[in-house]
Amino acid sequence: MTKIWQIIKHEYLRHVLEKKFLISLLSLPIMVVVMFGVAIIVILFSIDDTPVGYIDQPGILTQAYEREQDSFFNPKIDFLSYEDKAQAQTALESEEIQAYYIIPENYSSTLLVELYYLDEPDSDVQSQFDQYMRQNLDTLQGLDPQVINRLENGTQITIADLDGEREMGQDQWYLVFTPFVLGLMFFFVVMTSGGYLSQAVVEEKENRTMEIVITSVSPNQLMTGKIIGNIALGLTQLLAWLLFGWIGIKVAGRVWPVVQDFSLSTEYILIALLAMVPAFLMVAALMAAIGATMTETSESQQISGLFSITMMIPYYLASPIMMNPSGAIATALTFFPFTAPITIMLRMALTVMPQWQLILAIGIIWLFAIFAIWFAGRAFRMGMLRYGKKLSLKEIFRKEIRA
Amino acid sequence: MSIINVLNISKQFGEVQAVDNLSFDVRPGEIFGLLGPNGAGKTTSIRMILDIFEPDSGEISVLNGPMTEEKKNHIGYLPEERGLYQDIPLERCLTFLASLKGMEPKDIHSQMTDYLKRFELYEYRGKKVKELSKGMQQKAQLISTLIHDPEIVIIDEPFTSLDPVNTEMVKDMLEMKRDEGKAIIMSTHQMNQVEELCDRILLIDHGKRVLYGTLGEIQNQFSSKDIMVTPLTELPDAIDGVREIKKLNGRFRLILAEDAAPNQILKNLINQGVELTEFEIAVPPLNEIFIQVVQKKGGADND
Repeated sequence: MTKIWQIIKHEYLRHVLEKKFLISLLSLPIMVVVMFGVAIIVILFSIDDTPVGYIDQPGILTQAYEREQDSFFNPKIDFLSYEDKAQAQTALESEEIQAYYIIPENYSSTLLVELYYLDEPDSDVQSQFDQYMRQNLDTLQGLDPQVINRLENGTQITIADLDGEREMGQDQWYLVFTPFVLGLMFFFVVMTSGGYLSQAVVEEKENRTMEIVITSVSPNQLMTGKIIGNIALGLTQLLAWLLFGWIGIKVAGRVWPVVQDFSLSTEYILIALLAMVPAFLMVAALMAAIGATMTETSESQQISGLFSITMMIPYYLASPIMMNPSGAIATALTFFPFTAPITIMLRMALTVMPQWQLILAIGIIWLFAIFAIWFAGRAFRMGMLRYGKKLSLKEIFRKEIRA
Repeated sequence: MSIINVLNISKQFGEVQAVDNLSFDVRPGEIFGLLGPNGAGKTTSIRMILDIFEPDSGEISVLNGPMTEEKKNHIGYLPEERGLYQDIPLERCLTFLASLKGMEPKDIHSQMTDYLKRFELYEYRGKKVKELSKGMQQKAQLISTLIHDPEIVIIDEPFTSLDPVNTEMVKDMLEMKRDEGKAIIMSTHQMNQVEELCDRILLIDHGKRVLYGTLGEIQNQFSSKDIMVTPLTELPDAIDGVREIKKLNGRFRLILAEDAAPNQILKNLINQGVELTEFEIAVPPLNEIFIQVVQKKGGADND
């Protein structure tokens, strides 16, 4: 046991202490920060909080404009009242205002306003004026209070499943967004630690350390230590990213309050873990097997590329899955262990998965994980001392080897 | 008595019979030379002793019984295909390999410091392994072979990449280990080192045992009845009982007739008034024995 621990420690530290690891750890958050930074700068440049004028012929706007929530990207617009069109036009041309509205005398029958501008004001300006109008609706004669209420608050659609266990409101868009992000994180972590793992094994063969190591520990101890060490490495990366993500949500929450409501149900997290952990083990074991059968690092990288393409399939097929989360494509991908974790997470966010599918799919992943570990053990024992000669699949299955 | 006992082991890889019914034993307190041409089955035999391969047939006993994980802690192995972790500092590399031999951290530290100083690598302990010269890496690998004070040391070509000074140091260390009662199996092609160091040897070819015994026994087995002499005075053209005289760098090789005995020749030389500074029954160098035996068997095949 101590020897396995030594191997875990060795595998973990030799990567964690390397610059390469730190770079890959920081690259994702830095990329996200840069992308958001650019987006924010673009938005900031496009914000125009010049006041907007209006000519209120029927005299509806009696109450002053109040903004419920002031946000950084949508600052409150001041609305200035003008006597007539000529005055407003002069103000517009001298750039005192960016646009002006005319509420005509017959507004209560037409419900139409006119907007004049040189450059079209952005949608936020228009929605703020809309809000201003709504706040003054009760001064309109003859409107049903219920209608006013509807107009003020808009619609809220909430979809619930039949037994009422789950609901989804239209402002819970992040429920769709979450599986994408979680899936991507999962993918990156699996590929990085898998990559490190196959690299570690091939390197040990390339630099011939393997022979000394296996005369000190058993092949199983070596493989177990390596897999756990590299999974720990992947988890370190995942935790670091989650931490960055959490900080990101806290920061973003100040700007977009809706993000602050972000949460995931325990059930969702539990099922995600049940599917991800064995998938992680499966890929890790297969990567170890690849490392043991291949003779050069570049070759093992090519093969691991195949894994990543396969795991990304749910992303390529994201639109058919989202359109029909219980359809044939989505169901098929649920039962294929490489695509299952991400597909399950997507489907769970969009629909209610039949329980038998969930159990079967997770069962399949576990089964494959166990098979992959067994397979890796064989490949490992046979391939570890082959230098410059690849091990074929046929050999791994056929040859009688030492347990 | 023996620490390793190999009994009738065979191993086949595909069509190739790598080791063929081989038996030998290794005893504590000896340096045992495992010799043979390239591809003779030396490395395969070593790997079977180390339990990397299982023999197709036959039995191997190491430290009184079959190999176990625990016994691996009492074996030091310097493989032919050498390598250390290249990208980590020397000290960390040696510490890790020693910890895999079940050593306690504090023992690792004191032993490693001791060995690093002895091998003049102490100043380089913080350097990455790949920054060290080939000879230094070789010494570092020897440290990882010996650091846990193994009962059995198996070394394959220990002297490659070493300069004469370091070669002497390694030889001294091996002799010291032998005197401490360790069993050392050394595989090498440098026959002069075998002659200097080995107590017993095993020569294998095509996986089969060709020669086996103490160095003296084997050399006796191959000694012809030739006599080496260095005379102070001229040698007569003909000596009774001598078929042919060959001159070699001031020395002479006397090839005896069928029924002649060395004692008789000495007597004849003295009777003929020859003054001698050397009279020696020629012992064939191991190198010659090796070539003679291997060529007789039909030549070596390559790896």
